[in-house]
Order: sequence, then structure tokens, then C-alpha cells
Amino acid sequence: MKDFAYVRPKNLVEALSFLHEYGHDTKIIAGGTDVVVDLRAGVIKPEYLLDVSRLAELKGIQLRSDGLWVGAGVTLSEIFSSEVLECHAPALKKCAATFASKQIRNVATIGGNVAHCSPCADTIPPLVIHDADVVLASINGIRQLPLEHVVSGPYTCALPDQEIIMGFILKPAAVTHADFQKIGRRKALATARISMSYMARKDFRGKISFFRFSLGACTPTPRQWPMVEELLAGKVPTENLIWKAARLLSEKMIEITGRRSSTVYKEPAIQGLFVKMLYPMV
Amino acid sequence: MDKAYRTIGKSILRTDAVDKVKGLAAFSADIDLSSPPLVLKVFRSGIPHAKIIKIHTEKALAIEGVLRVFTAKDIPGKNLLGIINKDQPLLAADKVRSAADAVALVAAETEEAALKALDAISVEYEKLPAVFSPEDAMAADAPLIHPKGNQLAARFVKKGDVEAIFQQCASVIERTYRTSMVEHNYLEPDAGIGYLDVDGTLVIYASTQNPHYDHKEIVTLLGVPDDKVRIIQATTGGGFGSKLDLNTQGFIGLALYHLKRAVRCVYTREEAYLATAKRHPLTIHMKTGADATGRLRALRAKIICDTGAYGSYGIAVMSRAAVHATGPYAFEAIDVESLCIYTNNPFCGAMRGFGTPQIAFAHESQIDLHAEDLKIDPLQIRLLNALRPGSETATGQVLTHSVGISQCIEAIRPYYESAISQWATAEHHPYKKRGIGVGAMWYGIGNTGVQNPSTARVEMDLSGAVTLYTGCADIGQGSTTILTQILAETLGLSPEQINVVAADTQFTTNAGATSASRQTYISGNAVKDAADKLSDVLRTEAVNKLRVSKKSLVFADGCVAVATNHEKCVDLASLAKRIHAKGAPLVWQGYFDPETVPLSPTDGQGIPYGTYAFACQMAQVVVDVLTGEITVERIVAAHDVGKAIHPENVKGQICGGTAMGIGFALMEEFKPGETKSMKDYVLPTSMDMPEVIPIIIESHEPSGPFGAKGVGEPALIPTAPAILNAISRALNQRIYTLPANLERVLDASIQSGHFAGRKK
Repeated sequence: MKDFAYVRPKNLVEALSFLHEYGHDTKIIAGGTDVVVDLRAGVIKPEYLLDVSRLAELKGIQLRSDGLWVGAGVTLSEIFSSEVLECHAPALKKCAATFASKQIRNVATIGGNVAHCSPCADTIPPLVIHDADVVLASINGIRQLPLEHVVSGPYTCALPDQEIIMGFILKPAAVTHADFQKIGRRKALATARISMSYMARKDFRGKISFFRFSLGACTPTPRQWPMVEELLAGKVPTENLIWKAARLLSEKMIEITGRRSSTVYKEPAIQGLFVKMLYPMV
Repeated sequence: MDKAYRTIGKSILRTDAVDKVKGLAAFSADIDLSSPPLVLKVFRSGIPHAKIIKIHTEKALAIEGVLRVFTAKDIPGKNLLGIINKDQPLLAADKVRSAADAVALVAAETEEAALKALDAISVEYEKLPAVFSPEDAMAADAPLIHPKGNQLAARFVKKGDVEAIFQQCASVIERTYRTSMVEHNYLEPDAGIGYLDVDGTLVIYASTQNPHYDHKEIVTLLGVPDDKVRIIQATTGGGFGSKLDLNTQGFIGLALYHLKRAVRCVYTREEAYLATAKRHPLTIHMKTGADATGRLRALRAKIICDTGAYGSYGIAVMSRAAVHATGPYAFEAIDVESLCIYTNNPFCGAMRGFGTPQIAFAHESQIDLHAEDLKIDPLQIRLLNALRPGSETATGQVLTHSVGISQCIEAIRPYYESAISQWATAEHHPYKKRGIGVGAMWYGIGNTGVQNPSTARVEMDLSGAVTLYTGCADIGQGSTTILTQILAETLGLSPEQINVVAADTQFTTNAGATSASRQTYISGNAVKDAADKLSDVLRTEAVNKLRVSKKSLVFADGCVAVATNHEKCVDLASLAKRIHAKGAPLVWQGYFDPETVPLSPTDGQGIPYGTYAFACQMAQVVVDVLTGEITVERIVAAHDVGKAIHPENVKGQICGGTAMGIGFALMEEFKPGETKSMKDYVLPTSMDMPEVIPIIIESHEPSGPFGAKGVGEPALIPTAPAILNAISRALNQRIYTLPANLERVLDASIQSGHFAGRKK
């Protein structure tokens, strides 16, 4: 492991000034649960580690006029215990229940999980269903980008070195159903083989009046699944209908990824997990 | 039978507990010397099979802080290691046989310099064709990995006419089973530190399961007299069999010999993954026949063990798998052929169970298949076939005592019956299936049909204080506590009154390996032998003082007393002084070697072990038929240990073994070349652990210390078979390859119609 300097700015302005000057040689660290692993493995070799874990500007979960704010420095444990999220983004709260392990949830942040851009990142599917925007700051000011534009490829974040993720603006939704599900090889500390998230509203006739869905760990970057959403919209959710949507989902996934050795498992497992997740709607 | 023991059967404070809880125990990486030791790093081949043309070390030597780069030509003695067969060089001389083969050893002032030196070493190779499966290695045109051929050894166990009996059987089942390569994942990666003593002795502290074997190997490697090397076992953070091989010790010895300066060698987790032994993957073809009542009659098996590039404990694994192929059941006729095959994979060695966990997967699946075929309850068919006193094993050994398998099965029964009547039928999710499975096992204590003695020394000083000298390495399993209890009980002392010197070749004699679940039974007996001899001298002397017959004397609270009147007594210090004054010894050596008869090379007949442990476990498993995920809800584990010297320790072994068994059953698979560290190797976490109900069965073993046998490996063996049988019951579809991971379970779910069945 190469030597590096550790920098802990007192506030966001200090952090942005530092990035303005040294951003190219800097790795931003918050909880460190991905960064430290990559440092030790020699995958990254920064000159500076900029610790943003204590920046107040990156904290907080609030319902604001422009949407539901979740600071990039919010830990997964904070997400799990948030009453605001319980009410306005229940799937995001749910993903924090099974994220890695308790020890990791206590330090890992949502900003770090997104910035690492792993296709398996557990927080991404719930953010996608809430049409999350990423709030970015640099010395030149603040801008907002859709999440899909930031996570531009596997482990590739489309942000300039001078910019930092401040937080996320989610569209809050009043729903009757929401969930996050994942398949791992064990019950904790498991990288998702497949993850997915949805939220939905059933109207007084029992029909689906609102449905959003996202899939994780299967495609290189996060994406929308409009055809699956369209198939379900306006219909009464039956077991048959859910299986039909599940099969459509796996077909569309294979259209994107092609058939690989892992498809033998993923094709049925995506269907299975989808049916398992939506079964409570039936 | 039930005696009022003072310490045996009591869960006393473990001898290592306080130091470990306080963080005082010094592991090899923590030991401080007066000056910082040199850092050793190993350069490894990176290619699976090649001739070495030339090793270039000049650039490495030019790096500041690098003292030496050793290669095979620097080894003054015999450059060939191995506890059973010697085939593994410390540093490769002419060729490399696996990607992990050590080619050069760097000694440097700092870790940074040592790592730079590794990058600066280059080797010219002439690549050779490599083979990665036993099938390929056995092909006629396969490249030779070792000069004598790719088949390292074979074990046959034969009795009766198998074919004739199959003709008469109502149920004949023939299947092929495959198990995975497994990494041990002890908490402490391999490490050691060495320095030169004032008298020129090479002193090596190491994380090891067998210090006396290490000593012998290093003395041979360096060509020095026995008294010039001293091995001391440092606090060891687990081993599970992998620390039976010489991992860092040889490198430390070689560098010390040449540099005469303190050196330390610590493996990273990645190096421990790459360079140390693995569990042998086995392919097992098994055919068994039973009569219409479910009585097992004949067994034929062909077992193929992939030992990788080197033998290590491979021959032991091959033999033990063959001998244990019947499971804890009586058969009339046996025909087992077990082969140990070299490949260019990482070498495989000892791992908790030596092939028995693998073969138990086969025999326990077979007996369940017979039960299904003949519509007999799985518990009942095991009880019907269970070995009992008077039964003859596959090797022709007639069991006389301590055959507790039926008691283990009966102990499971109440849990089994209530699980069937209540748990299995309770309302549950439509896409989840519940299954209850049973697995049983037997396990011979000690090495297979070879001598494996232990020794111990017990010494009393003139103040009456007692010291135990034992070569036995406590790697965290608790042997020092157990041996202390055995000694304390024999001499009527409290365990905390006993001093222990353990696993230091200068002061202790050989106790053999901490392996094969042998230390309680074999070293326990050696300690008891020494303690009995001292006890006899003390009581003999007390006769003079107390003027009653020797047999009416007992030990009580640091005294020898009259059994009927403890007031009439004499303290040990007075006795010690009187004995010493007469010139009689206060130091006694103990010895024990189980009575065995070597197995015949042609038919495997003989007496491989002095005694056997038995166990039966039940697993309650929930299968998610949509995703292939498995939840093990409960394991009930009944283990016949003869006598539990320390019951909480036995329960700890059972719970730990169960955890390892869950990993073996459901997730663990080391893929050579792909698996680098814990990041890409899945082993169970505490969240994967079910409720475990350990049940201790004590079927007294007359040849054991206070009736004890062993439990270290048995704890793991029945878990995977029980889980696999439970999955099979849940899905009505059997899995024949371990681990039963997401892919295999979902496939079984689809095959059995549970997945597609709901897909309209």
C-alpha cells in the first residue's frame, strides 16, 4: 500500500477548495468500507485521502419543498432508523436492513455506495424508483444530475475530480406497497447476486394505479424498466400477472446482457425474486 | 459408574481464556524482540507447471534494505518436506508444480524493501502442460507431475463377495458424489518468528499444530544436530489441519541459519489462501445394496482424491475416506478402492475430518435413498443398521465398547418426531418448502492403522507443586485445559494448581500432531499414565506415614488421605521431601499409543483405530423455491464423546463444527486461480447460524482417560449430510455435488417442479 496524506476539512468550502487544487490526486473517503479495501489491494493509489465523513453539509434526512433530501454522508444505519424514510421512501429504508453487516452499516454512507458505482450497490435500486437526482458541489457551485447520469459504468463514476456528492433529492411517494429484496450467498456480508426494489399503489378497485421498479446487480448501469411498469399499470395484480411480468423482466434483462454462464441461474432467479417480492400485492 | 469427580466433567475456566480476553496472548506476529526482526517474503511461481531455467535475483539484491535472496541451492540439508511422503521442496529447485510453489525467499530490513524485491525477481521457465483434474492426470498421455507417476497412492478395503450380494438385494442404489475444495480460514494467518540464542540454537516461535514434527523437518532441511533447533508454539489462532504442514517455519529456519539475525515471516490472508493446504475435493462413486427390511448388505465405492501438487496428508485422507465409507453401519461385503492423485492444483492436505466429511455426504445420501426406496423412516433405517458392540467393521475390527451411535440416534428422536408433526406441517409461505434431514457419522480417533503415540512428563518439586510438560499444541481447541483437568483429577488437585509447559521442543517430549481428534484420547492417556506413576509413588510413601494399605488411600486437596477419614492425611510437600530424600524419582514420563493393527495393503483388513466417536445430527431447513436460498433453522447434534472432560468445550466444538458444516454444505468452494481472499470466498457468518442444540452422549470408552474419546472433527461431519438430506426432503429432488449453492438449489427446485409448477 502506497503512502498518502490524510486530510480532514472542517467544512464543505474547505473540502471544495482542496478538491479544486488537488482533486486529481485525491480519493474522497467517508465510511471507508470500499475505499480502504481498494487501497489495501492497490486498486487505487491516491496522494491524498479527503475525509468528508464529518461534514455537516452532507448530513441529514429531510422532506423539503424540492423533494426528499438524503445527505451523502448519511450512514446506512441512519437510513434504517429514519422515520422520514419509513414514511416517504420505505424501500430505501428496507435496503439498509440487509446491507453488508451491522458494523459496516454503522459507517458506510449512501454517498459512498453510489460513488463506488458497483453494479451490485444495494442503495441504487431504491434510489432509481424514486427518480433520485444527485446534488453535486464544486467550487463553481451546485448542480443536480439524474442518478443514471452519475453512475455511468461499472465502478465508473462520471464526476469530475473537483466535484463532491452532497446528497440526493428523491421524489417522495405515498404508496401502499414497497420493498427491496436481494439474493446473496449468505445472510450477511453478501454481495447481491440480484437485487430489486419496487413501490406501488393499489386503488380502491384493487388495481395498480402507480408502479415503479428497478433491478440491481444484473445490468452494467442502473436503468428504468418501463415495459414491466406498463404491463402492470392499471391491472389487478394476480399471481399469473406477476409471473408474466417476471418473465418479461428476465427477457429484457437478457436482451441487454446477452446470455452468459451466470444467466442459467439469473434468468429464473430474477423471475423468482420478482414474484417473491410482489407476492404480497396479490 | 458415575464417580464424584473433582474436575472431570466440570466446565472449568479455560487455561487460555484470561490472557486471550485481555489481549495478552502473543501471536507470532505480535512477539516483540529486543531489536526489530528482518522481514521475510516468499516469491511464488505464479504458473502451474514449468521447468525452472534460471532465477534472476540481481535486481532484487540491489534494492536498499534487501539482505539476501535465497533459492534452493542455499538449502544446506535435504530440500524435501512432507509428513507422510516427502515430495514438497521448501524452495523449488528444478521445476514448479503449482502456481503457489515457493521459488525464492527474500530477507530485508523492512516490509517495503522485501515487497520491492519480490517485484524485482524474475524467473525463466520452460512451461510444461498442466492438468487440473484427477481424470486428466490419470490419462495415459498426461504430463508427469512427479517422477513416480501421477497416482500417489491407493487404498483398498475388501471383504466378502459384493457382486453376489447385490444380486440378492431388494434395493440397490448407485450414485456419484462430488465435493468442493475448501479453505480452512483459521482466524490467524500463518506466521512465525525466529532468533539465534546465545548458544547458537535456532529458536523459532510458530503458529503450528505439531512443533515436534516442525523440529524434525527443520533439522533435516538444514542438516544440523537436533539440539541446534528449538521450536516453540506461539499462541495459535486456529489451524483446522492446515498448520500441520510446514508453512512459515522452514523459511524462518533457512534465513536464521544463514543470517544469524532475528527474522519474521507473516502471511497475508491472500498468501494463506494461495500457499497453504486445502480440503481435498473428492469424487465418490458409490453403490450400496439393502434387503427389503432396509438392512444394508453390500457396498462398492471408488473414491478419487485430488491432492494437488503435493501429498501433504493426502494419503491419510485417501485411507480414512476408504475406511469410513460404510458410515456407522454394519455391512456384510465391502469393495472400496480409494486413489490419491496428483494434479497441478494447489496442494490439498489435512482439514478437519480427513476425508470423512466428504465420504459421509455419500454414505448418508445412500442410506436416505434406500429409506425412500423402501419407504422406511430415515431414523429407523439408521437405527436398524447402526454398529453396536460385537459388530464387525469394514476392516474386520470387532467393536467391543463405547459404540454410542444408537444412543445418538435415539437422542435425536424426540426432536425429529416433534419437528415432523409440528414444524414441517405448520403453515408457511407458499414458495418456501420445509425439510427435515438426518446425518450420522463415525470417526476413528487417531491416525489410521499406524503408530501415533503421545508422551508427557509430570514433575513434582519439593514444595509439592506439580508441572506438566506436554508437546501437545493447543491451537484454541482447549487441549491444555483438558490435560490439566486429567492431571489435576488424578492427583486430587485443583486445575489452577498445575503449571503447564506445552509445545516447546526444548522442554517437552513428542505428543504428536494436534489432529485426528486425538489429543484428549491419546495425549490425555499419556498424561494420565505419568500422573498415575507419580500418584503411585506418593501413595506408597504415604503408607509409611499413615500406616494403612495403599488401596485405602486417596488424593484430597493437596494431600494423600485415608479414604474413610480425610482428617488422617499427609500433605504432598512432606511426601515429596521424603521421596526425594530416598532418591526416588518425582519426575515421571507417560506414554500411550492406541492398540492398532496396520491395514493390509491388498484388502485393508486390520485394526485402524483404538476407538471411534459417533454422532447423529438433524437439520431443519427452509428452501426458497423461487431463489434457491436456504435457511438452516435448527441443528440438533448428538455426539458420543465417551466422557465429556469439559462439557462446555465439547458444546463449543459442536457449535463450531456445525458452522463449518453449514459452509461445507451450502457455500464454500475454493476455485484455484480465482479465489484470492475472503472477499471472494463465501463462508458462513453468525447470521447464517441456526439454533444449535448440542447433546452430549457418554458411552464410556474403557481405554480412554476417564472414558473420554474425542469430538474436534466429529462435530463437523454429520452437518452437511443432514442439511443435504433435508433439502432433498423439502424439494423431493437430491443434490449430488457440494456446495448446494444458489445455482444448484434453484436448479433442483426447477427440476422438481416447484418453480415451474406455479408458472402457468
